[in-house]
Amino acid sequence: MTEPLRVLLVEDEALILMQLEMLLEDAGHSVVGTAMTASAGSALLRETRPELVFVDLRLAEGSSGLDVARTASDLGGIACVFITANPRQLGDDLAGAAAVIAKPFSGGVLEDTLAFLEQALRRPPPSLAVPHGMVLAPAFLANWAPAEG
Amino acid sequence: MEREDAWRQTDRLQTETGKGDPFAAAVRGTRMPMIITDPRQPDNPIVYVNDAFLGLTGYGRDEVMGQNCRFLQGADTDRAAVQQIREAVEANRDISIDVLNYRKDGTPFWNALYISPVSNEAGEVLYFFASQVDVTDRIDAHLKTWSEKEHFEREVAKRTRELSEALAAKTMLLHEVDHRVKNNLQMVASLLALQTRTITDPAARETMEGMLKRVEALGTVHRRLYQSNDLERFDVTEFVRDLAGDLVRGLGRGDIRLHFDVEAVEVPVAKAPPIALILNELITNALRHAFPDGRPGRLSIAVTPGEASFAIQVRDDGVGMTDPAPASGRRSFGKRLMETLARQLNASITWRAADPGTVVHISLPHDAAVHSEPR
Repeated sequence: MTEPLRVLLVEDEALILMQLEMLLEDAGHSVVGTAMTASAGSALLRETRPELVFVDLRLAEGSSGLDVARTASDLGGIACVFITANPRQLGDDLAGAAAVIAKPFSGGVLEDTLAFLEQALRRPPPSLAVPHGMVLAPAFLANWAPAEG
Repeated sequence: MEREDAWRQTDRLQTETGKGDPFAAAVRGTRMPMIITDPRQPDNPIVYVNDAFLGLTGYGRDEVMGQNCRFLQGADTDRAAVQQIREAVEANRDISIDVLNYRKDGTPFWNALYISPVSNEAGEVLYFFASQVDVTDRIDAHLKTWSEKEHFEREVAKRTRELSEALAAKTMLLHEVDHRVKNNLQMVASLLALQTRTITDPAARETMEGMLKRVEALGTVHRRLYQSNDLERFDVTEFVRDLAGDLVRGLGRGDIRLHFDVEAVEVPVAKAPPIALILNELITNALRHAFPDGRPGRLSIAVTPGEASFAIQVRDDGVGMTDPAPASGRRSFGKRLMETLARQLNASITWRAADPGTVVHISLPHDAAVHSEPR
């Protein structure tokens, strides 16, 4: 595979955070940081400038993943993917994120998602089909529409 | 001038014997309270008043003759109504209006007042003729009805608001619990996945991976649970696609083609977890054992609604059943698991050779399924 993706994880459940780290490392990617609150997540976004950030919607200390997504969108060049047990809470535009994965997710779904996002970010347009357990934002999908057409 | 004199004569008449103008006698004798005012005199005073008016208001004739009618007004008289009367009189229009008036003793009454101008042939207004009817009973009944209606509407609005709030609270609680269940299932899967990674013994690792798949199958049930707005029904059809697809990917068996022949079947939510676990065992078994050594193949899953029961069929075109039943602990646990869950569902499971491969048929009783309209 090409250069590993630089990924930031923002999730307040330690066990889920560990599993995500494990799955990312197994897939050969590089976890540049982990955070459990929105403010820590936003600070790490500015500091590490990852290519990809996985964000839980509900974060520690009552903070919201929406704020992390906003920071990512303000900084630019960072694909934000929500991982949440509440995907319906997001509107159709996924609050500016590229995609959403519904909890509980299986290891398989996350592996497929990583393979798809790696293509999408490194060699767009992606040739893989959009993974089963992932919903892609219309705006993100539109990026490749001319190439697909 | 004659006419004016005639009225004055009429006034005099009522103090006399009652003979004379029959119209004047009628006005004098009617039970309808009536007065006449003269707009050509300063402040439009009363120039005639009948006995019925005196009876209604409690005043004596001397007290009202020569007065403007405003002495009937009081504290709670509607100023807007008074203004309407004034405007009508100034414009020489007639007017019909309900207005709150007061008797001499201060008691209020609702007066259905009717005023009309009386003109001569030249169109000049000579008098205003006014009749009064005490409609206190009617107005009170109306106000009471209106107030009761207001009261009931307020009560209904209050109850509706309370019920809406209760429903909103219940819905929020359901979402909160649903959120917790999903997160906790994810944490259980995380624990199993993290532990599995540290295990080097292949058999132990396979056992752990099997457990992880079972937990993930339950996770898939919960992920799908409230995706529709129906909180009590679970769509087996979509779940089968979701689960089978996930298992094929999870085992890295892209060389096995999945084929679905499914009709819409919904089951009560409580039946979803055991059905999910049985399906997980059947599909996992087929994927693990029917296609060894990278043998490609096809896995077909059919869901068929029937009269007394609905059927799920899992068919592979792999190497066929290995007989007798394998001695491996994991597989015997898997078989026991299926039998136990089948008992819970009152379902029957049969295996048979299909040449090539194996067909597993599950029949679930009618009460476990509701055949939904095809979508």
